[in-house]
Amino acid sequence: MKKILNAAIRFFLYLVLIAPLLLFGVYAFSERWFFPDVLPSTWSTAPFLRLFSDPKTVGGLLTSIGIALVVSLFSLIVAFPAARTLGLRRFPGRQFAWLLFFLPTVVPPLAVGMGMNILFLRLDLAGSFVGVILSHLVPTLPYTIFTLSGLFANYDENYEYQAIVLGASKRRTFFNVTLRLVFPGLIVAGLFAFLISWSQYLLTLLIGGGKVLTLPMLLFSAVSGGNPSTIAALSLLFIAPPVLVIALTARQLNQHGNAIKEQY
Amino acid sequence: MAKVELLNLSKNYPGRKTPVLDQFSLTVDSGELVSLLGPSGSGKSTLLRLITGIEYPDSGDILFDGKSILSIPPNKRGAVLMFQKAYLFPFLSVEENIGFGLKVQGATKQTIQIEVAKILDLIGLPGIERRKPAHLSGGEQQRVSLARALIVRPTLLLLDEPLSSLDTAVRQNLQEAIRRIQHELGITAILVTHDLGEAMGMSDRMALLLEGKVAAIDEPMKLFQKPPSSQVAKFVGIDTFLKGRVNHGTLETQHGNLTVRTNGFVSDSATFAIRPEHIEVGSELAENILTGVVKDCMYRGEYVEYQIQIDTMVVRARVAMPAAMIPHGEVIKVAFPAEHLFPLTA
Repeated sequence: MKKILNAAIRFFLYLVLIAPLLLFGVYAFSERWFFPDVLPSTWSTAPFLRLFSDPKTVGGLLTSIGIALVVSLFSLIVAFPAARTLGLRRFPGRQFAWLLFFLPTVVPPLAVGMGMNILFLRLDLAGSFVGVILSHLVPTLPYTIFTLSGLFANYDENYEYQAIVLGASKRRTFFNVTLRLVFPGLIVAGLFAFLISWSQYLLTLLIGGGKVLTLPMLLFSAVSGGNPSTIAALSLLFIAPPVLVIALTARQLNQHGNAIKEQY
Repeated sequence: MAKVELLNLSKNYPGRKTPVLDQFSLTVDSGELVSLLGPSGSGKSTLLRLITGIEYPDSGDILFDGKSILSIPPNKRGAVLMFQKAYLFPFLSVEENIGFGLKVQGATKQTIQIEVAKILDLIGLPGIERRKPAHLSGGEQQRVSLARALIVRPTLLLLDEPLSSLDTAVRQNLQEAIRRIQHELGITAILVTHDLGEAMGMSDRMALLLEGKVAAIDEPMKLFQKPPSSQVAKFVGIDTFLKGRVNHGTLETQHGNLTVRTNGFVSDSATFAIRPEHIEVGSELAENILTGVVKDCMYRGEYVEYQIQIDTMVVRARVAMPAAMIPHGEVIKVAFPAEHLFPLTA
């Protein structure tokens, strides 16, 4: 009985998760699909070809990837020392620091976005890539700091001391010991930042002011335009990179994580 | 391979009332292994961190062969610390782990390979170069950790309870290995431990740390048999203290008179001590005896331990391999041989 229930829940979850994707797939490759037919009468790759021949879409894709990559890199660089300190040290004001780092997740994004918009207009950053990247850091940092500090809570600094007394310089210890020990966590935190930046619409709109066109912006205007095939194809394009990245790193991540777990 | 001098080292942490180390001084001769013994919180581990340079002393100096090393960064001091845990880098193979120190110094791949093979022979684990640390037992991990420390030919080897997480058999085996290798290579070493047996078996001299200072330092046999003070005596397992007036070779205690060897010294209130193994128990004893009642006896294999009540005092005696045990409640004679009674200075 329990087995059957388990299987049913599993099946239901898969269905809920995969059905929309399948639907997108069918839509994206359909040329003609009229009411009584269960499947499209003509299949075609035309919507995709159209998408890839459109410089606006290709530009959007590259912009999105570029921004998300830079944002995840910056997130990691900023979050690393903060997370290390929060995870390893006990000091007065630690709770307050936590609260401060988590504020962006509590304050409505619209409020943050409007405020930043005014500030960035004054700083002449509105409508620029730098401005958009900086604004994306606001929602990504809490997640990267949280992920990394969890990592450092189980981290043993003596690995570093061991390397230093064996003659390694601080630099070498950082790159050859610290970074390698926390590497799987860095990837996870980086992925979080990438995904959050990737799906960011509001901040890109407010700060980019229509000059920085990422995929979500294009998707939004396509949805209001109304060709289902184009929307479906664009949606698949939007989903592809994150799914690809996760699929590629999951295996390696698992192995690496297990190797370190065995040590502890 | 250097003479190490610690001069008046002090270290305090914010929020602590008494300093962890208070004017701490110790000299370790070249090639000598000195163990630091003491209860937890007596500053043993802090001392090692000061020597390696992971932490900095508030005052005092550390000399290697007469030269201060305080201004030298920790990675250039040549003082290698081995921890309680092996801390092998999980992402490196055994060979890469052991070769870490050489690689950092810029040694060639070939040199590293040869040296690693040599040191693996020395620690008795030849041929495990390719293995990952996770696939080694706890004892093997500690051996590899030792090899990794030794391969850089440290000026000073610091051992911070390196064996305390291992089980008894592996531990004894490793104690012998460390002792042998340290002798063979002539490395100066400091061992921190809270295990008296380990300290006595492994070290040339042992120092007892109490409240941030050296309470006593001497060869293990001397400290074990004739500790200078009652504090040290308690630490090495002595709990029979006889107080009284000393006059012409006689100690007049409240329980009776005992002959002692004093070399003519006279005192109104002296304290003498004796190891539990030196106290004799039996009905046919004649010299230097007090009479008591057996309160408790416990069979321990190598010896039988009696608790004997003499007036208000309880004396613990250990009798090696007796033929029969004296039953509880029996009135018995307890002898304190004069040659084993020794005076305490403090």
